[in-house]
Order: sequence, then structure tokens, then C-alpha cells
Amino acid sequence: MTAVLDRPATVLPTRPLADRRPPLARLIGLEVRKSLSTRSGLALTAAAAVLPAGAVGLMMALKDSPPTAATMLALLGTLVSMLLIAVGVLATAGEWTHGTVQTTFLAVPRRGRVLTAKYAGAALLGAAISAIVVASTYGVATIGAGAGFSWTGAGVAAVATVGAGAALTVVGAGIGAAIGNAPAALTGTYLVLLVGMTVLDNARPTWGKHVDPLSAMFDLVEGDATARPIAILAAWLLVTAVAGIAVTRRRAIS
Amino acid sequence: MITVTGLTKRYADNTVVDDVSFTLEPGTVTGFLGPNGAGKTTTLRMITGLVPPTAGEARVCGRRWTDLPNPAAVAGTLLDAGAVHPGRTGRTHLAIMAATIGVPSRRVDELLDTVGLGNAGRRRIGGYSLGMRQRLGIAAALLADPPVLILDEPANGLDPEGIRWMRELLRERADRGGTVLLSSHLLGEVEHTVDRLVVIGAGRVVADGPIGALLAGDGVRVRAVDAGALAGSLQAAGLTVSADGPALTVAGATAEQVGRIAAERGHVLTDLRPADRGLEDLFFQLTA
Repeated sequence: MTAVLDRPATVLPTRPLADRRPPLARLIGLEVRKSLSTRSGLALTAAAAVLPAGAVGLMMALKDSPPTAATMLALLGTLVSMLLIAVGVLATAGEWTHGTVQTTFLAVPRRGRVLTAKYAGAALLGAAISAIVVASTYGVATIGAGAGFSWTGAGVAAVATVGAGAALTVVGAGIGAAIGNAPAALTGTYLVLLVGMTVLDNARPTWGKHVDPLSAMFDLVEGDATARPIAILAAWLLVTAVAGIAVTRRRAIS
Repeated sequence: MITVTGLTKRYADNTVVDDVSFTLEPGTVTGFLGPNGAGKTTTLRMITGLVPPTAGEARVCGRRWTDLPNPAAVAGTLLDAGAVHPGRTGRTHLAIMAATIGVPSRRVDELLDTVGLGNAGRRRIGGYSLGMRQRLGIAAALLADPPVLILDEPANGLDPEGIRWMRELLRERADRGGTVLLSSHLLGEVEHTVDRLVVIGAGRVVADGPIGALLAGDGVRVRAVDAGALAGSLQAAGLTVSADGPALTVAGATAEQVGRIAAERGHVLTDLRPADRGLEDLFFQLTA
């Protein structure tokens, strides 16, 4: 049944901004802002940025011969990357859990564009937090370093920490987008990374070496290898990001 | 303007929306009614691109939602007042939306005052009542002053003052040439707010037209000083009369017919009007 309704004398006009698609740079900035606009997001970010300084201080104080700067950064950067994965998961799955995904996709209905902004925002946030981790780790190490402290490979380790941190935050965002439920995504991710990878490392050490993204990050930052860890991290990033986009584009919002 | 053509949604063998079509021109507030599970929400979500249709299409201001460059500047929506992050403040929620659309941030404070949340804007949404969340959702829908509004149960949780405010807001919107689509199960609220009705039952449109035409009944209702004597005169004239308390309903008659008979027989009338049906009666008749 169809009824054509009477047209009034006046028609409320659309504003000029109706024809202006929100630029991607603005959407990326908004995604970073969203992640930092809640107490949980801020607390997670602050913890990721600040905790390493305390850990370095303890290592320097308690160990007679503290590890090199690169090894220290590999250890702390890898631990912080666990939190960065959670930051990424919450950036995407958190929207589904709280229902805010509806508001987001009503304003920007091209879901691939939204996820591109989310991935880029996650990468920026991950890189920024990792840079703070590098600064705080090296800062405390500088204060407490004795004569024999080794800074060999510290520059490369810093770059690797920032790059891997950014990549793993995007991995988290991709997993969150694919699963669409924050508690399930976080639980599943940590089960795979902590339990699954440990089992794999023990059962098939060679396989684990070629799959585990956290070990890959550690090796990359410590400077043990370059090509293999980068390939592992790139594979995780690609698979999770594509899975996130593919599932999100098909998922109905109820 | 909203144009819905043959919109259909099937989940496996279950058809929840079946060939729904309607066209809403500017200047009208249209009520979208139906019982629970009739397909109202699914239809609204298909119009706004959240749920892909199995068949048919919906256009808002001539374009499909997903083809609109900046949809929130064309159509303000309130589909679920709970779709907000409880950890953000109301002001931050609106500021993020305003920035997404490209609306200046000063508009956020204007709207918080407009919807009566000026003092609550810096509180976290988790502490808001349902009515406050509805007001926040309405503020979000109005951010870009869009020509189209699509609201799903906007009166839920609003107090009587809030309902009156919302009614005036929607009316003013339509009077300025806006198109308003209002889904609600509060029939009294709809009856006082809308000038068009689209009624959906079991996924299909069962009524679509001006509310006056849909509610118009067959016959007249009349009250007299001596209702019993008037009833006798009307029956003697061959009319079918039924008593409803002190009022009489005369099926198939016009006000002129009844008025003439009353005048000829010397009855004093205290009320004479078309026998409109209530929206509730119409709703149950159409969706039973």
C-alpha cells in the first residue's frame, strides 16, 4: 500500500555539510579521541605508558648485572603489547558491546571506511604508547645505568618497539572487529596468545617460533632476527584486519 | 523526504518485513505503528542502512542511506537511546558526534540546554535516567538541524513535560518543512502528535494515510437532554441507534440527518459530532 503525502509550501533545506563526506583524517582523530574518552581507556593507556618505568627501576635496582637496554625494552615492550592488544580490541569490539556501533555507522555508513579509521587510530595510539614506553624505559635506565650498562642496539630496539606496538594494537582492533564482543574477544585473544602459544611452543617449538606474535616482537626488539618476526607480525596484522573488515561489513546491527 | 519501495527482509524462512512501501513528503509527522514483532524496528534499520534488505530499497532525500556523503546532516536518528557509552559524558558523546558530522562544537552546548541537560552534560551517561538518555539522543539527532528525523520510541521514559516538549519540537519541525517519522507504541501520544499514519502488522503495511481519514467512523455520536426520547425518534425514522452511556451512536447517518430529526421532534441536543474511532480501536482492528 502506498500513500503519497501532500507537499507543504516550504521544505526544510539540507545544510551544505550534507554533501561533505567526513575526511578520513578527521575520522582517525576521532577514533583516537574515543579510545581516550573513557576512564577504562585512559587507565589502560596510562598503565601501558607508566608501568614500564617502575619495572625498569626495579630491574636496575635488584639485578647485579642488568640486561642490555635492548633486552630490557624487548621484555617490557612485549609485556605492554599485551595491553595494547586490549586497547585495540576495545576500540572495535567495545563499540559492539556498548551498542555505540549503531551511532558510528549511522553517521558513517561505509563500514570499511570506519574500520580503516579505527585501524589507523589504533596504530597511532599503539605507536604513541610504545614511544612513551621507550622513553620511560630508556629514561630510567639512563638514570640508573652503571659503567658496564650496554646500550648496543638501543636505537633499533626503539624503532622496533614502536612499530611492533602499533602493529599489535591493530591486530587487537582486527580481532575485536571480527568477534564483535569485547569480553569474548579479550578472553579468546589471551587464551590463544598465552595458553595456545605456550602449548604450541612446547609441543612443536619450530611451529611456535613461526606463529607466536609476542615472541616475534621480543626477537625483533632484542635484535635476534628481523625478517621472520616482521613476517609473523605482518601476517597477524593482515589476517586479523581483513577478517575484521569482512565480518563487520556483513554483520547486521540489531 | 523518505521513499520506501518494496522493502523486504527475510531470515531463512521467516519474513519479518514483507514488501513494505510508503512515501513521506516534507511537512508531515508520520506515526509508524505496529505491535511488537510487526517489523517496525527492522524497517527503520533497513531505511538507515544498519540492516541490509533482502529486496526493495529505501531512499532518504533521494539517496540510499549508504550513498549519503554525510547522512547525519540529512537525517537525525534516534533508534536506541541505550546505544551510548556509559563511561563518556553526555557532552563528550555529542562532541564526538558533532565532530564526525562537521558541526561546530558550540552547537553541543546549545543543544544540551535545548533538551534540558545543560547541568548534566559533564556527568557520565552511566548515571543518566532513561528520560535523560532519550533527551541526549534527541539532541544528537538535532545536531546538524537536518530536514528529516527518524525516531524510534522517543517518548520512552520522558515525563509529561518532556513529552509535551517533544510533541512541540516535532510539530515545529514539520511546520518548517521537515519530514518526521515517529515510531511509537504510545497510541495516545501518537494520536496527538502525528498527521499521517503507517500501520504495520505481521511485516506488511495494513493502513497508510492521513490520521483523520483513518480514524473517521461511519455515523455520528449525539447527546441530548433526553437521550431516551431522542433514541426513540431516531429509531422511528429508520436509523440504527446504540447507546454508549449518555451518548448515542447512530450508524450510517450524517449529522444533518440527525439534527433535522431532532429539530422536527423538539429534542434539545447537547453534542453532535462524527463518530470517530479512537486510535486504539483502529490499531487493534488493523493488527488483530
